[in-house]
Amino acid sequence: MALLQVCGFTPYAELRGQILPAGQTHLVDRTNHYSFGTNTQEFAVPLGVDPSGFLKSCNREGGVCIDLNHGTTTLAFKFKHGVIVAVDSRASAGRYLASNDVNKVIEINPYLLGTMSGSAADCQYWERLLAKECRLYRLRNRQRISVAAASKLLCNMMLGYRGMGLSMGSMICGWDNEGPGLYYVDDQGTRLSGPMFSTGCGSSFAYGVVDSGYRDDMSVEEAYELGRRGIAHATHRDAYSGGVVNMYHMQEDGWIKVCKEDVSELIHRYRKGMF
Amino acid sequence: MALQDLSAEYLEESPIRFGQIRPVRSVGAASSPDSPALSWPPGLPLASSHCVPLPFPMAHGTTTLAFLFQGGVMVAADTRSSCSGLVACPASQKILPIHSHLVGTTSGTSADCALWKRILARELRLYQLRHGRRVSTSGAAKLLARMLHPFKGAAASLCYVCSDGTRLQGALFSVGSGSPYAYSILDQGVKWGLTVDQATAVAREAVYRATHRDAYSGNCVDVYRVSSEGWTRRTREDLKEEYYREEERRGRPSE
Repeated sequence: MALLQVCGFTPYAELRGQILPAGQTHLVDRTNHYSFGTNTQEFAVPLGVDPSGFLKSCNREGGVCIDLNHGTTTLAFKFKHGVIVAVDSRASAGRYLASNDVNKVIEINPYLLGTMSGSAADCQYWERLLAKECRLYRLRNRQRISVAAASKLLCNMMLGYRGMGLSMGSMICGWDNEGPGLYYVDDQGTRLSGPMFSTGCGSSFAYGVVDSGYRDDMSVEEAYELGRRGIAHATHRDAYSGGVVNMYHMQEDGWIKVCKEDVSELIHRYRKGMF
Repeated sequence: MALQDLSAEYLEESPIRFGQIRPVRSVGAASSPDSPALSWPPGLPLASSHCVPLPFPMAHGTTTLAFLFQGGVMVAADTRSSCSGLVACPASQKILPIHSHLVGTTSGTSADCALWKRILARELRLYQLRHGRRVSTSGAAKLLARMLHPFKGAAASLCYVCSDGTRLQGALFSVGSGSPYAYSILDQGVKWGLTVDQATAVAREAVYRATHRDAYSGNCVDVYRVSSEGWTRRTREDLKEEYYREEERRGRPSE
C-alpha cells in the first residue's frame, strides 16, 4: 500500500469513483465491441490458448479438419498510365469450392484498392478496418491518405497479431501525390514497394506470363491484356484459382473497373490453334 | 553370342531385382530362363515403402520442360544443381540422351537420376541387341517405370515418369520447382504449327522466366530437339546475358 502510494499509482476503481458517480458503470469505461480501439490502438489478445497452436491441432489428420480459404491468384503492376489490378474469383475451403464469384478486391475509397489472398475472413475484416482508418485520416487531416501510409497502417495491424495464425497477402494500390503506388503487405508484417507483385498459390504461373510481357511504356490496352492473360493462365494450371477475372485500372483521378471476364472463355480464345 | 555371354556376365541380376527385395521362386512356377520370375510369396510387400531418412539435403530444384510440335519434340532444361541453398554445380546436364532418338530429362535427386538413366540406357541397348529393333519412347518410359516389358509405340511422343510409378503420356510437360513459371509461358506460346525457331524461342523463354523467379533454377539453358533424324542440341546459353539484354530492351539501366 505504501509502495503504491509512493509510486503514485492510483487504482482504477478509486480514480473512476472520483470522476464518475459511484454505482453505475458506463459502457464506455470498459473494453467492449463498440468502442474497442477507437481512442488508442489496442490489441485484443486471446486469453490462454495459443491461436496458431490451436489451428495446427485442428488441421491434424483424423480429427476435425478446418481448412481455411486459401487458394487464389491476384496480381498487380505499375506502368506509365497507372496501376492494373487483376484477381480471380474462386474461394476454396480445402477441396470444396465455396464460391466461384467472390470479389477479391476491396474498394477502400475511390483512389485506393486492396486485394485479398489467404484467409478470406482475415482479408475482409482487416481491409475493412483499413478502410475505416483511411476515412478517419481523411476527416482528421483534410487530405487523402497516401498509399505508403495506408499500407503502413495495415502492416502495423498485422504486426500486432504476428504469430497468432492470421493469413493474409494483400496488395494496396493507389494513386497519390507521388504518382501510382503499389505495396505488398502480408500477415508476417512484410511491406514491400515494387513495380509488380502476384500473390496466392497461382502466383507463380502469373509471374511467368507477366514478366514476359511487361514493359514500363505499355499502352493501356496492352496492360489490360497482360493482366487478363496472367490470371487466365494461372487459373488454367492452378486448381484453386478460377471463376472470372476482375480487373481494375487505377488512374490519376481514381480507379475504374475494367472488366469481369470468365476465364474459361479467355483460355479458349488464347489456346485456339493448340492441340 | 560372345556379346550375349558378355552381357550375361555383366548382368549379375535382372534389373527388376535391382535394389528390391529378392523374390523367392515358388516351387512349380513355370518360368523361362529369359524372363525373370514374378512369383512373390504371399505376405511380402510388392514394393518396399520404407523411406530411408536422408543424411543431408539432396539436390532438388530444377526447371525442365518438353513439348510436342510439328517438328518433333522440343526439350529444354536449366543447368543448376542446388543443395538446399548452395549451388552445387552451375553447369550440370539435366538432359541425357539415351539413344539417337530418345532423350530424357532429370528432376529430383541428381544421383538417382544419373544412375537410373545409365541403367535404362544399358537395358535399351541390350534390348536392341537381343531383338534387333529400338525401343519406342513409351516403351522406354514403361521400362523405366517398371523395368520390365517394353512394347511397340508410335511416332514422336512424350512421357512423364515419376519415382512413385506414375507414367503419363501427353503433349506438354514441365517438371521441377520452376515448373509453374514455365507452364504459363508454354500455355501461352505452344501451338502445333510452330516452326523450329519459334519452338526454340518459346522453350528458351520458358526456362528463362523460370530461372528468373525460382531460386533453385538458373545459370544456363540447354535446348534439345528430337525429330525423325535423331536428336540435335543447341549450344548451351548463359541466361545472365539474356537478362542484361532484356534490361536494355526495356530501357532500364542495368547496374
